[in-house]
Amino acid sequence: MSTSASGDSRAFRVVTRLFLRRLIDNDLISPHADRHHSLAVLYALVVSLAVFATFFLSTGYLAAFIQLPGPAALSALADRFLYIAASMTVSALAALMVWDALALEPRDAAILGPLPIAARTLTRAKLAAAVVFGTILTVALNAVPGVLYPLFLTLNIRGTQGATIIRLIAAHAATVTMAGLFGFFGVLAVRGTLRWLAGERAFGRLASLVQSALVVAMITGLLLAPTVRASDVRRWVDGTRAPGSVAPVLWYLAINEMLAGHLVANTRVVLPPRLAFFPFPRRVDEDARTIYHGLTPRFAALAKQGWLSLPVVAGLAIATFFWTNRRFPDRAATALRPTRFYGVVRRAAERLTRGDPEAQAGFFFTLQTLTRSAPHRTIVAVSLAVGLTHAFIALTQTGVHRFESSSMPRAIPAMSVFLLISLLAGFWYAATVPAEPLANWTIRSAWLGNQQSYLSGVKRAGLIALAAVPLLLMLPLNVSLMGTAAAVEHSVVALLFATALLDALFVFVDRFPFACSYVPIQNPKVAWPASLAGVLTLTYGFAALECQALVALPRMVAFCAALSAIAFLVKAIDRDRRCEERPIEFDARPTPATQRLDLAAH
Amino acid sequence: MQARLEARGLTKYYAAISAIRNVNLALEPGTILGLLGPNGSGKSTTVSLLTGLREPSAGQILFDGRNIGDHLVEYKARVGYVPEDAHLYTFLSGREQLELIGRLRRLPDGLRTRKIAALLDLFGMTSAADQPISGYSKGMRQKILLVSALLHDPDVLILDEPESGLDLSASLVLRHLIPLLAARGKIVVYSSHVLDYVERLCAVVVVLHRGAVVAEGPVHQLRAMMQRQSSLEEIVAQLVTTVDPAGTAREIADVVRLQT
Repeated sequence: MSTSASGDSRAFRVVTRLFLRRLIDNDLISPHADRHHSLAVLYALVVSLAVFATFFLSTGYLAAFIQLPGPAALSALADRFLYIAASMTVSALAALMVWDALALEPRDAAILGPLPIAARTLTRAKLAAAVVFGTILTVALNAVPGVLYPLFLTLNIRGTQGATIIRLIAAHAATVTMAGLFGFFGVLAVRGTLRWLAGERAFGRLASLVQSALVVAMITGLLLAPTVRASDVRRWVDGTRAPGSVAPVLWYLAINEMLAGHLVANTRVVLPPRLAFFPFPRRVDEDARTIYHGLTPRFAALAKQGWLSLPVVAGLAIATFFWTNRRFPDRAATALRPTRFYGVVRRAAERLTRGDPEAQAGFFFTLQTLTRSAPHRTIVAVSLAVGLTHAFIALTQTGVHRFESSSMPRAIPAMSVFLLISLLAGFWYAATVPAEPLANWTIRSAWLGNQQSYLSGVKRAGLIALAAVPLLLMLPLNVSLMGTAAAVEHSVVALLFATALLDALFVFVDRFPFACSYVPIQNPKVAWPASLAGVLTLTYGFAALECQALVALPRMVAFCAALSAIAFLVKAIDRDRRCEERPIEFDARPTPATQRLDLAAH
Repeated sequence: MQARLEARGLTKYYAAISAIRNVNLALEPGTILGLLGPNGSGKSTTVSLLTGLREPSAGQILFDGRNIGDHLVEYKARVGYVPEDAHLYTFLSGREQLELIGRLRRLPDGLRTRKIAALLDLFGMTSAADQPISGYSKGMRQKILLVSALLHDPDVLILDEPESGLDLSASLVLRHLIPLLAARGKIVVYSSHVLDYVERLCAVVVVLHRGAVVAEGPVHQLRAMMQRQSSLEEIVAQLVTTVDPAGTAREIADVVRLQT
């Protein structure tokens, strides 16, 4: 009996390690990447972003000659809100990235099923691997800022004691870790509940849609978190504004305030004798302390919900996990039987690309890859989230009401333009990622060399899915903001802009979309900020021109004509570049770091 | 007279390691060539060079007297290929995978749809045609690969372990299909470890060992060369086997029995 128990626990440890390694190697990174290199880059990115954010948030505290405890306690609410929201959303995103691996998979059944290991041991190991993965990630994300932020916050509060700083660090670490675990278990719970309620077959159809929607929601939340001000947090806490979807963040913020946050507001300012002449703004400090203490009862109520939330979500996640994984998954897959809608789309696409099978191949393969391949879906979801974040911020600034064409703020047309740029740039990036690296031989052996036709199909799919459909979905909002005529004009202009932009993005692409091996962007630390600056300049420059054009119809006609001319010009350049067939390097590899840094000779 | 498909002095290096050295082949329409050899002998490299997916380090492949490297796209349009590993786009259904291949090979809409439906039906895949490939068994994937290779009526058919994973009836169909396609003027290159298949199907065989051709010719000629009335399996074993199979088997059984 004991031999069997020890054998079981040994098998449990071995299989947990295997699942954990696979989560990191295969599911989070990629089956062919160098694990150590990728993990080092990922960790460096996460830590450096967290440290950068900490320094950025702490500039005020570090620069203050004397930091007043009352105002510091109030402004720290927004900072802690950001840390907690970031921990929650990043952990949730990590869970979403390994969505399929969060349950027993057919490959587990194929590889581990024949071994003499009890099924419950495999299920427990899978859950343990997921929990360890979530915990490591949360701790790694929060370790450095968890120590730095409380230190920086209290550095210039004269009179802060060492014990207070330690309690602040402990409370910060506890709450951000709890928030991270809440985010991770939240995704696990949503997945488990959905699979339990919908059943295996329906889950197969719904899972990717839900995963993508959650990715969009989490990234939008993450990007919006830094825009939250201390006054917003106060209003959410005291109930003057409904917290809505930010309620979970407030729960953990409240736990932090109940554990240690109040210590800042309670600190007695002790000025050294040499600063006795300093005009201490006692009134400002006391007012801020009073406001903070006024929030304490609400913090207590919210903290109760927070303490309860983690066990409830974790319990739900674990229960649904064990229930839905009590048997090995069935390999029988859901049929992709064409629906009537798909039939309509197919006929329309065939009409669009009549007589050009390669364009059809590009069109359908693009749509299939974007909707079914997890990395591509994620890239599109991230692009959509970035666009939606901008739209949300723009609407917050302008307000949602009807604007006259003559006084239209640039932010209104800029919403659609930025969304289109974000989606099409995401599409361009997605096209550089192979749909399945090992399967590209099918395309290599079947492709007959006409890149222009295939690419035109790819671009048409991108234009319809990521420009026409979003514009159509935004039309009601644009009608309410601009009026019907201006909204229709805006949609036409935006579609012309998207056509020209899409051609411009692909004009120098000499690789085969979705089939060539992935070559990372060289020097991203320059490319990303430069691209962001370029995108914002283009968006608001274009929006300014459009605002001018919206004033009078002749101007709008001239604007559309100019845009059409640009679109035709870009198309002509593209056609000219591709008039001769060039060989394509399907298996290009990134330049080794030793060559990039010119270290090969040393 | 020049053969329709000819390999001259084919050599391929991966970094500094030679995978094949000075391989020569000459194939006429209607030929079924068996490519034999143990693991690592260079069969798959030879096949990948013949498909045009890799370039030789030295030597050339001529099709209708022209170097395929200079007319690669034209040549690929005439080749059907079944690779050893069934890597397909698993998020597509079988039908969608075939549609993709058919479109890239510029088959007209109506013809493509008709051929795909008919071939899927004949390979017994109609009921699974709209399921994602991720749920397919190895044999089902192999059938999709076979249909992909045949869809555009190629002149050259290169099959690397095509029988792998197929059920009995599909194997039997394949065994009848290959001579039929050869009789209709196609060149078939058949690489396999199943020597029984090769012996039944192939008029000519090439035996590779450590990247070099160690024997080639009709099976009966090889028998004569080995001066014995043996099976192809025994001939190949004599040519390429460096271990004593019975002795190695005994050693494996002994290791299996180890308890401490």
